[in-house]
Amino acid sequence: MIGRLARFARYCLALSLCFGAYAVEAEPYLAVQFGFKCNQCHVNPTGGGLRTTFADVLAQTVIPNQQLATGLDNWTGQLGPYVRAGGDLRFDAQVTQVPEAPSVQEFSLEQTRVYLEANVIPDRFLAYVDEQVAPGGALNREAYVLYWSASHDWYLKAGQMYLPFGLRLQDQTAFILTSTGINMTTPDQGVEFGWERGAWDAQFALSNGTAGGAVKSDGKEASLNVAYVQSVWRLGVAANNNDQAAGSKSAFGIFGGLRTGPVSWLAQAEVTDDHSIVNAEGRQFATLLEANWLIARGNNLKITDEFLNPNRAVPNGEETRWSLVYEFTPIQFAQIRAGFRRNDGIPQDNAEHARLYFIELHGYF
Amino acid sequence: MRIDGYRCWGALALIACAAGCAGNGDGLNANGQPITAGSSPTGTVTADLQSIEENVFTPICSKCHIGASAPEGLELDAAHAYDDLVGVPSVEEPNLDRVNPGNPDLSYMVLKIEGAAGIEGAQMPFGETPLPQSTIDAIRQWISNGAPNVPAAAAAAEARGFAVKSFVPLDKSIVNAPLKRILVAFTHELDASLINETTLTLERIGGPEVDADSAMTAPGAERILVSGAPAEHNPAVLLITPGTPLGSGVYRVTLRGSGGGALADLNARTLGSDISFVFTVEPAP
Repeated sequence: MIGRLARFARYCLALSLCFGAYAVEAEPYLAVQFGFKCNQCHVNPTGGGLRTTFADVLAQTVIPNQQLATGLDNWTGQLGPYVRAGGDLRFDAQVTQVPEAPSVQEFSLEQTRVYLEANVIPDRFLAYVDEQVAPGGALNREAYVLYWSASHDWYLKAGQMYLPFGLRLQDQTAFILTSTGINMTTPDQGVEFGWERGAWDAQFALSNGTAGGAVKSDGKEASLNVAYVQSVWRLGVAANNNDQAAGSKSAFGIFGGLRTGPVSWLAQAEVTDDHSIVNAEGRQFATLLEANWLIARGNNLKITDEFLNPNRAVPNGEETRWSLVYEFTPIQFAQIRAGFRRNDGIPQDNAEHARLYFIELHGYF
Repeated sequence: MRIDGYRCWGALALIACAAGCAGNGDGLNANGQPITAGSSPTGTVTADLQSIEENVFTPICSKCHIGASAPEGLELDAAHAYDDLVGVPSVEEPNLDRVNPGNPDLSYMVLKIEGAAGIEGAQMPFGETPLPQSTIDAIRQWISNGAPNVPAAAAAAEARGFAVKSFVPLDKSIVNAPLKRILVAFTHELDASLINETTLTLERIGGPEVDADSAMTAPGAERILVSGAPAEHNPAVLLITPGTPLGSGVYRVTLRGSGGGALADLNARTLGSDISFVFTVEPAP
C-alpha cells in the first residue's frame, strides 16, 4: 500500500513536470531541508536579508556542487570585529508571452541588495540596514535595532521591517504574498517581539499599517506568526489585522513544511478579508504548494503550484500559477536558475495567461 | 519505513489541499468583476481616467495597490486612484508628484511605469511585463491634458470647449402652434447665473410667409418675453419658456456667446460667438 502511494506521489510529481510550473525563488525550503528555524541562517529572525556566519559557511561548504579552494579563509561577511555585510544580486534573461500581444524578451537586473549589520553589543544588540541599490535609485527596505535576551529566547526589534506572516518567499509576486499585501516590498514601521524558545518560533509585531505610506489615522497593524519547528516537519499559523480609517483588513493563514527524503515540501493557505475596499472586493483565498527535490548536491528542482480566488463572493474568477525551476549552484555564492512559469485565469483576461521563460544568475554573499 | 508512509500521506494531503483550477470566467468582465457591476474594459486605452482605470489601474495595478495595506499607501482601485495620484507627492521621491497635471515628465507614476532612470525600486507593474508603449502614451496624454477626473465623453467635450450641441425646434424647421417650450442642449453644464434678457433673446420676425433664410439676419419686429433655466435633471440643457405659447410666425432665438456677460460654462468658457437659429410656427391643422 505504501509503495503504491509512493508511486502515486511520484506520478503526481511527473505530471506536474509535464504541465509546467512557476519560478518561485523561495528560500524557506532550505530551512525545511536542514530542519532549521529562519534565524539559524538569517540575522533577521523572521528570515530574509543578511545571512549569519553559519549560513555563509553553509553556502561555501554544503550547498554548492563544488567548493572552489580559497585557502584557509572563508567569507563570513565580517568587515571588522563588530560589522558584517552581505548582498544579493539577481540578473535575468527572460521571455514573456501574453496571448494576442507581442512577446517581450529582455535582460533585466531584477535586484541588487546590500545588507549591513553593526553588532554594537555582540550577540545582544545590533543595528541593521537592508538597502536595495538597483534597479533604480537606493530604496531602504529594512532599518532597525534589535535586542536579544541573554539566552536568545526572545528579542525586541524596532524600526522599519518586513512584517511576519507565514512563509517568507523570495518571489514577491506569489499569490500568498500579494493576497495579504504582506511581503518584502511593503515593509512597515513599528516594533516586533519574538519568542524563540525550544521548538517555538513566534513573533508579534505592531506597526503603522501603511506599508511605507503616510500615516492617515490612529489605526495600527497587528501581526502574529507562530510556528512549531521540528527537524522533519513544521507547522504554523499566522494572523494579521490592519485597522485603518478606511476599514480594516484581516488575514489568517496556516503554513507548514515537511521533508520526505530528498524532497522538501512547503505549503500555505490563507484567507484575506479587506473591508477597506469598496464593493467587498477584498475577500481572497490563496494557497501555495512547493516541492524542492535535491537531486544531487548543488542541484535542486523546484515545482510550485499556486491558487488564488481573488474574490470569494464572485464565482468563476479563480487563477492558478505553475512553475518549474532548476537551480544549479556550481560553486559557492553563485547560482544559475532556469525556469518556466505558467499562469492561467479567466479566458477574457489575456494577462492571466502569461508564460514566462527565464534564466537567472544569482550572486549572493 | 512507517514514517516514510506517513510522509507520503502528508504530501498527498498537501497536494489535495492546494489543487485548484482556473475559473471559467462566466458572468465576469475582463477585469474579473461581475458584468452587472459596471462597464467592461475595451482593451484599448484612451487618454481619459475611466479608460485608464478600466484597462490599467483596476486589472493590473490594484492587484497589489489596494486596501489598507497598499504599497506606499497608494490605492489604485476606482474609488481612490484619482485622489491618491493627482497632485500627491510620491513617497519614494517626495520632490515629484505621482501625477503632475500637464507635466507627464514630472509625474513619478510615468517614470515608474517607464522604468526611467532615477526611480527608486522596481519598474511597475511589479513582477510583470512593462505596459505597452501605446498604454503609456495614453497615460501621458491624459496627464498632458491636465489629468481631468472625467470620463471619455466629458473629456472630449473639455477638449472641444463649450458649445451648443443641438436645439429644438431645429434650425429652419416648421412646427405647429402653439409652441410652449424651446430647448437648447450644450456640450456640458451651463452657468445658470448668466441666463438673462441680454444673453437670451426670442424675437418674432414676421408671419409664416417670411423666408427662414432671410429671417436669420432680418431685424426683429417683436421681442418676446421669455424665461430660461437649466433642465431639472440635465443642467447641460437650457429650457426656454415664452411668456405665452407661440402662435404662427417666424421666430429667431439668439444666444449671446461673446463679450462681457456672455453665456458660459462653469469654468467661465464662453461659446465664443453669438448663436442664432430660426424656426417657423404654423397654425395647427
